[in-house]
Amino acid sequence: MGLHSYFGGTTIQTLKMAAVPAYSRVIFRPISRTLVALDSFPRHSPRPPFPMLARALSTAAAVQTTTPSTESMGTATVAKPQWKAAIDFKWIRDNREAVAENIRKRNSKASLELVLELYEKMLAVQKEVERLRGERNAVANKMKGKLEPSERQKFIEAGKNLKEALTSLEEDLVKLSDELQLEAQSIPNMTHPDVPIGGEDSSAVRKMVGSPREFSFPMKDHLQLGKELDLFDFDAAAEVSGSKFYYLKNEAVLLEMALVNWTLSQVMQKGFTPLITPEIVRSSIVEKCGFQPRGDNTQVYSIEGSDQCLIGTAEIPVGGIHMDSILAESSLPLKYAAFSHCFRTEAGAAGLATRGLYRVHQFSKVEMFVLCRPEESDAYHEELITIEEDLFSSLGLHYKTLDMASEDLGAPAYRKFDVEAWMPGLGRYGEISSASNCTDYQSRRLGIRYRPAELAASTNPKKGGKSNLAPTKFVHTLNATACAIPRMIICILENNQQEDGSVIIPEPLRPFMGGMELILPKHTGKLTG
Amino acid sequence: MGLHSYFGGATIQTLKMAAVPASASYSRFVFSPISRNLVALDSFPRHSPSPPFPLLARALSMAAAVQTTPPSSEDIGTATGSVGKPQWKAAIDFKWIRDNREAVAENIRKRKSKASLELVLELYEKMLAVQKEVERLRGERNAVANMMKGKLEPSERQKFIEKVLNHSASGKNLKEALASFEEDLVKLSDELQQEAQSIPNMTHPDVPIGGEDSSAVRKKVGSPREFSFSVKDHLQLGKELDLFDFDAAAEVSGSKFYYLKNEAVLLEMALVNWTLSQVMQKGFTPLITPEIVRSSIVEKCGFQPRGDNTQVYSIEGSDQCLIGTAEIPVGGVHMDSILAETVLPLKYAAFSHCFRTEAGAAGLATRGLYRVHQFSKVEMFVLCRPDESDTYHEELITIEEDLFSSLGLHYKTLDMASEDLGAPAYRKFDVEAWMPGLGRYGEISSASNCTDYQSRRLGIRYRGNLAPTKFVHTLNATACAVPRMMICLLENNQQEDGSVIIPEPLRPFMGGMEVLLAKHHTG
Repeated sequence: MGLHSYFGGTTIQTLKMAAVPAYSRVIFRPISRTLVALDSFPRHSPRPPFPMLARALSTAAAVQTTTPSTESMGTATVAKPQWKAAIDFKWIRDNREAVAENIRKRNSKASLELVLELYEKMLAVQKEVERLRGERNAVANKMKGKLEPSERQKFIEAGKNLKEALTSLEEDLVKLSDELQLEAQSIPNMTHPDVPIGGEDSSAVRKMVGSPREFSFPMKDHLQLGKELDLFDFDAAAEVSGSKFYYLKNEAVLLEMALVNWTLSQVMQKGFTPLITPEIVRSSIVEKCGFQPRGDNTQVYSIEGSDQCLIGTAEIPVGGIHMDSILAESSLPLKYAAFSHCFRTEAGAAGLATRGLYRVHQFSKVEMFVLCRPEESDAYHEELITIEEDLFSSLGLHYKTLDMASEDLGAPAYRKFDVEAWMPGLGRYGEISSASNCTDYQSRRLGIRYRPAELAASTNPKKGGKSNLAPTKFVHTLNATACAIPRMIICILENNQQEDGSVIIPEPLRPFMGGMELILPKHTGKLTG
Repeated sequence: MGLHSYFGGATIQTLKMAAVPASASYSRFVFSPISRNLVALDSFPRHSPSPPFPLLARALSMAAAVQTTPPSSEDIGTATGSVGKPQWKAAIDFKWIRDNREAVAENIRKRKSKASLELVLELYEKMLAVQKEVERLRGERNAVANMMKGKLEPSERQKFIEKVLNHSASGKNLKEALASFEEDLVKLSDELQQEAQSIPNMTHPDVPIGGEDSSAVRKKVGSPREFSFSVKDHLQLGKELDLFDFDAAAEVSGSKFYYLKNEAVLLEMALVNWTLSQVMQKGFTPLITPEIVRSSIVEKCGFQPRGDNTQVYSIEGSDQCLIGTAEIPVGGVHMDSILAETVLPLKYAAFSHCFRTEAGAAGLATRGLYRVHQFSKVEMFVLCRPDESDTYHEELITIEEDLFSSLGLHYKTLDMASEDLGAPAYRKFDVEAWMPGLGRYGEISSASNCTDYQSRRLGIRYRGNLAPTKFVHTLNATACAVPRMMICLLENNQQEDGSVIIPEPLRPFMGGMEVLLAKHHTG
């Protein structure tokens, strides 16, 4: 099958660094520098070299390695963010109407007023800090010259007062910027102009393929089929693990393997690099991808006695691969197809469709993930939904693709396409995939940038030094389900059932199941017991 | 490939029940009288003179009902106190232990176990004595009650009442004395259970006695490959072939995590697919299992989910943990059930991800993929009649050896020495394969016969033709631990040009791919 050729051009050039984001130079660096001057090196050096501590304050890069103190987050007045997103506050201020409109569209609880108020306050304090620092420097310069003792005493007094005032202001600045960060993190991504405005009902059908199969016999749902074909064991799993866990048995195991293998082989042909990811990650990565690992209603399982959680989707570990790095433009787009198990608490899922395999605590999934240049993300979004649609069509499913309405988008998504497939046993359409363009929402949190190719070679590369490097930009990230196994198993079993209770295996999967064409009911010989 | 035929006889008939052990005659003796009394005294003291055998009795006499309540881990952890209350009860055959005390003591010595047989026997004798006294008092009470049923002279009646009230020198009346003894009995049986759970399984007579060095080589296949060029280890090969990313995983997850990339993903899928297809041909039923399980199941399989040095990741705010091996969820499939003898043996091949904290692994071989927090594994698990477990142990090790031979590995099989056996194992065969990059043999599989150690904890019995139930024997064996297999394949099959030859059996599962080629890093 020529799998070799898939790996031709997939090498990746990354330049890992503890990144100082461009915008943050304005806001954070002066603070950090002062903090260092005041606290760490107050008397050793009048002009400290740009030190480690400054980086720790100015970017997420260094922060993520320290264990987050969740205690302080819960109780403190101004909670301290564990890491900082590179949010473009100036852009938000300059586009306040659009941002306000967007918050309304998405029914978000974010408070733009508060963010802007905090930002203006911070700028004012920032300005005052700069002014005082200037004064202090002026005083320090004057003291370098020869002075009368009385004169010198006056300057010493003045310097002392300035220092105290600065210290207090700088503390305010840190608090303000923490508060600002926390508030601003809840502002959702902007919304694609074509996204329908409103609640779930407003979602627009983009495409519809096939039609519900007509059955000439009473059909069964996947649970019933699974029972007769001996494919699942929910009862034993409830004892061993809890409700909504399950064992896959017999042909269901082969079906899962076949779905994963087939899906990977298909997306590899489209240039995606296959991955198998860690399923335990630091909580900060989960947050940076836009999920909430803490709180009563979290979907995330946490590991006891650590800052780690289980992933709910491979989007999280794949998003983290290039965290805090600057990619070469030539390496973009990066296209990954990651196979992982996914774990979800499904807290608050009571009352939702929970029959059988539809909503479970653990499942296998192949997830596509793309990192690309901003101007290309819309095109890759189209590519991703096309790949999904092609996969589902190949399996013979009847489905529709939805352009999800604004209120149905998670905070990271700029636009989201869901595919809902017909599940005749359940008697309804069920979501089988989701493709989201997150633009720079995740990359600003994960610190993933790229450096546009060097500017025209007009400048002398030797003399130019850094100046001929274009400034870095944040990449755009997209994620899309290639195959969420249990829901795909529901579709295949319920749509492909025959009157005799057997289930026809879709042709593309057969080569991955040793040529098997049919799942036959087991003959449970009546054994005495 | 005729996969259909694998499923012919794999149907399973189980009879799930909240079981009161029939075979465990000791438990009837020890537990059911207590439970019955407790019920009579505490729950139904005045409503019914002879209560029907109630639910509460089962809760006390068997693990079945207990496992559904979340264990209060605080109790276990902080039990500086008198007697830690066991969260579930193993059906340990105390009478057998007493009757075979020399053999058990000898076995504890052989295995360098810290279990205290003396304490167990002392507690058992104490418990029997209290038990006897309880029976006697109960008889007396019943006699009094019976007499009071008849017509009595008032003076006669008064005499009986006084007899009940002033029962003994201690001044306690009959009812109070009984209650007090019964409390003692519960405490004693809890303490006995706790102590006895640490007694290791007995040991197969052929197991070499001693430490790791005493393990005996059972078989040796092939010889270390001679290289005409300088050998790379799998980390170096993985780097050149762009197969792993440990650095990104260290940032995202922590050290000893990794991403598999490119052909490594295909290799994992191929190993799993090929292994499953091989063991299915041997009659094993494939499973994909839950990877989050209740802590009690982990304990019942003989692992310690709590404590500072535990290998087990726990889920915050619940009584669940991540599995370290599919042996745990497969062991749990038939928990608290009685199987028909005709369904035995049950042979499963379970694919799962495995999660291990690797606490205390500092200093051990930790390069690259050898010791990691998460990995994929296909595990075989057999439930069978006691008289067949030795045979199935041989079958399991043969299957393992055949698999590794097919992949062209050089390995040796060891009959592990007594001190190297975990508490559940009666006998354990390890396979160690040659890893030329690491320059040593490394464990790639382990096949254990646990006899009835796990089934007595998990409550898995079988019933022959109307015969009393017996505990099944359980066995587990690695069919394919993916990362270690990858180490072997990369390091043994490397070529001078940096490429790696894929073993023939795996090629059909990798779209015909024959060789892993070094990536050309452009630009």
